[in-house]
Amino acid sequence: MIRLVTLDAYDPKVIDRLCKVLYTAFGVGCEHAGDMSLPAGQHEPFDAQELLKALPSPRAYADDKILYLTSRKLKPRSVISGEVPCSGFANQNGPRALVSSAGVKDPEAGLKQIARHAMHQLGHTWELHHCLDPRCAMYPPWTLPYDGGDTFFDTFCRDKSEQRIRLAKS
Amino acid sequence: MAETAQALTLAVGDRVVYPNQGVCRVTSVESKEVAGQTLTFVTMKREEDGAVVMVPEAKVRSIGLRKVAGRADVERVFSFLRSDSDKANLDWKQRARTNVERMSQGGLMGLAEVVKGLQVLSELRPLPTKERELYDNARHLLVAELAASLHVAEVDAEDSVDLVLFPPGRERPKRTAEEFRSAAGDEDGMELGEDLLELGGEMDLAPEAEPEEAQAEAEEAVPAPKAKGAAKGKAEKKAPAEKKAAAKKAAPRGEKKPAAKPEKKAAAKPAKKPAAKPAAKKVPAKPAKRK
Ligand SMILES: [Zn+2]
Ligand SMILES: [Zn+2]
Repeated sequence: MIRLVTLDAYDPKVIDRLCKVLYTAFGVGCEHAGDMSLPAGQHEPFDAQELLKALPSPRAYADDKILYLTSRKLKPRSVISGEVPCSGFANQNGPRALVSSAGVKDPEAGLKQIARHAMHQLGHTWELHHCLDPRCAMYPPWTLPYDGGDTFFDTFCRDKSEQRIRLAKS
Repeated sequence: MAETAQALTLAVGDRVVYPNQGVCRVTSVESKEVAGQTLTFVTMKREEDGAVVMVPEAKVRSIGLRKVAGRADVERVFSFLRSDSDKANLDWKQRARTNVERMSQGGLMGLAEVVKGLQVLSELRPLPTKERELYDNARHLLVAELAASLHVAEVDAEDSVDLVLFPPGRERPKRTAEEFRSAAGDEDGMELGEDLLELGGEMDLAPEAEPEEAQAEAEEAVPAPKAKGAAKGKAEKKAPAEKKAAAKKAAPRGEKKPAAKPEKKAAAKPAKKPAAKPAAKKVPAKPAKRK
C-alpha cells in the first residue's frame, strides 16, 4: 500500500488522480492518508533529506510505503561529484519518499510530471536504480527531457518493481 | 585489481567486497578442526541483507575477495566516468567475456567500466535483456561499494555517478555504429572457443539472436501508442547495421524473463565462474529478507 501524505493544500481531484496513476504504475493500492504540517525549524528551500527525517510517519504496515507531497521547493543536494537538482528524495529500499511539486505551476495540468517524479522516488524505495531508457520514470530526473515524459516504467523496471513488491509482501 | 594482488589480511569488522555479491563485513576469523586438519575460516555478513558467507582463509584470494575501494580508487573511477566515452565492443561475445572479467576481477573500476560501457552502447541501441540485467547488477554493486567507501547513502552514491553520466539539462546522446567501429579498431578480433559456455548461461543467445532480441526489447518497452510513435521515429534514425536487424521480424514478446529471477543476487551468481565458488557458503539461495 502507498500512503500519500500531503504537506500542503492540494485539490482533492489532483490527489485522487495521483493515487490512480501510482496504483497503475506499481499495482499496489494508494490512498490519501491525510495532511501533515511541515516541521518547525526548517525553511524553504528545504533540505529534502532533513525534511524527510523530521517528518513523522502515519500509521502504516511494515511493507507500506509512505509518500509525502509538498509544493515547496527543495534545495539541490550536494554529492561528491557536484550539486544534484532535487525534486524529491527517498533512500534506496527505505520506507518513505518525498516529492515536490514546486516545478509545476498548476498541479492539475502538471499532474503527469508530479506523478513521474513520485514514481521515481517510490521506485527507489522498491530498490529500483536509475534506468537507461529516457522514457522510463527511473531515468535520472534532472535530465532535460524528463519532465515532459509519461508516467511510464520500461519493462525492466516494471518487472523488477513487481518482484520487489511481491517479495516484500511474502 | 591491485587490491586482489596484495595479500589480504582480514580482521573482524573489516569491510570487504565479495565479487558479484557485494559489500560484506567480516564477523569472525576462527580456526576449526575439519577432518583432522586445522583450518581458518572467515565469516562475513553481506551488508545489504545480512546473508552470511563462510570462506576458508586460504581461498580468500582465489575468490577475489578484496577490501572496499579506497579514496584513490574512487577518484580514479570518477575521472574515468568523466573521460570521453568508452566504446563497448560491438561483438557481443567479446563484450560478454570482457564484462564477466570486469565483474569478477576488475574491482570498483571494473564495475564502472561495465556500467559506462553498457550505457554508451545503449545510446546506440537498446540492450538485450541479459545485458540490461548485467547493467543493473553492475550499477547496484558499484553504488553499494561507493556508498561504503565514501560513507554516504546509496542514493547519494548513485546520484554522484549519474550526475557525471547523465549531466543535468542535457539530452541523451545518439550514437552511430561508426563511432564504435573506429574506437574498437580491429573489429574481427579473435575468435572465441567453447569456453564461452563457461559463462554459465549468462550469454546463452545465439550470436545472430542478439540484435533481434535487442529489437524485441525496444518493441516491448513501448507502452502506449503515443510513445510507440516516438520510438519508431528513433528507430528510423538507426545506423545501417541496425536497420538490417530492425527489418527482421521482432521475436515474439519474450514471455518475461527466465523464471523471473527471484533475487538480484541470484542473478549475479550465474556470471560467477565455478572456480570462484566458496568452499563453505551459508548464503541461502534466496538471501534473507531485509530488516
Ligand atoms: Zn533517483
Ligand atoms: Zn526503467
